[in-house]
Amino acid sequence: MIGNDIVDLKHATTGGNWECPRFLEKVFTKKEEALIFASENQHQTVWLLWSMKEAAYKLHVQKFKKRFFNPTRLECELISEDKGIVKIDDNEYFTASTLTEDYVYTIAKQNNTQEVYTSVFETKKEDYKIQSDLLKERFLKAISKTKGLTFHALKIEKTAIGIPQVFYASKQLSISFSLTHCGRFSGFAY
Amino acid sequence: MGNTMTKEELIAKLKIIVQPYIQDEDAFNNLSEHTDFINDLKINSANLVDVVLDVEDEFDIRIENDDMEKMISVKAAMDIVIEKLAAK
Repeated sequence: MIGNDIVDLKHATTGGNWECPRFLEKVFTKKEEALIFASENQHQTVWLLWSMKEAAYKLHVQKFKKRFFNPTRLECELISEDKGIVKIDDNEYFTASTLTEDYVYTIAKQNNTQEVYTSVFETKKEDYKIQSDLLKERFLKAISKTKGLTFHALKIEKTAIGIPQVFYASKQLSISFSLTHCGRFSGFAY
Repeated sequence: MGNTMTKEELIAKLKIIVQPYIQDEDAFNNLSEHTDFINDLKINSANLVDVVLDVEDEFDIRIENDDMEKMISVKAAMDIVIEKLAAK
């Protein structure tokens, strides 16, 4: 299973005002707050840790099929600038992030040897529906190519709790994947 | 605000709070207690933190992270607000 998350660092609506102490309290543990305040680029570190939590959460929900909203339950540790571990209950997920001036992108995996195909791209239009449709199309085209399946027979549907699943001619495929978008950027991973 | 707030008034207040963060107009226009913040309104999770903070301010309550954990729908938010107001 896999989870991914992208944050557009220049996107105006990228989440509230993280400098507000109440925001930090609801999202980060004390240890994570210390990491943020000790870092040179605090804005980037906030969203790096955030994207690690989000990516790990998306994987965790696929695994346990139960949603919740409490980012402090997902505890981040940084092993290096771009690699980390996210712990929740008795589970550990491994994260790898890409940091640029424009975005932070993280992929969460269950182990370090898991192979991943991933892509990040920029879209001009910020409309949610347009972006979401384009992202699904790009992802299905990639699946079509790598798995040798006819594009037009591929379809995405969400489960009752909102986990997307891919179908080929109405049969569910056992491909774990994750889709993300924020501001100008979108990404998929499988 | 007294303790006579009706369910409709509470939903109306929550509707105003979530408006800046929604990404699905149709779901917003049809908002009811069964509306899901993420799956229906497409509120991103960073903005969901903003919703929680705005709910705290509007109703002058504190929502602990354990309470916040369930706050993924209008109904769950209503239950938490009612519970916190009753405990005041």
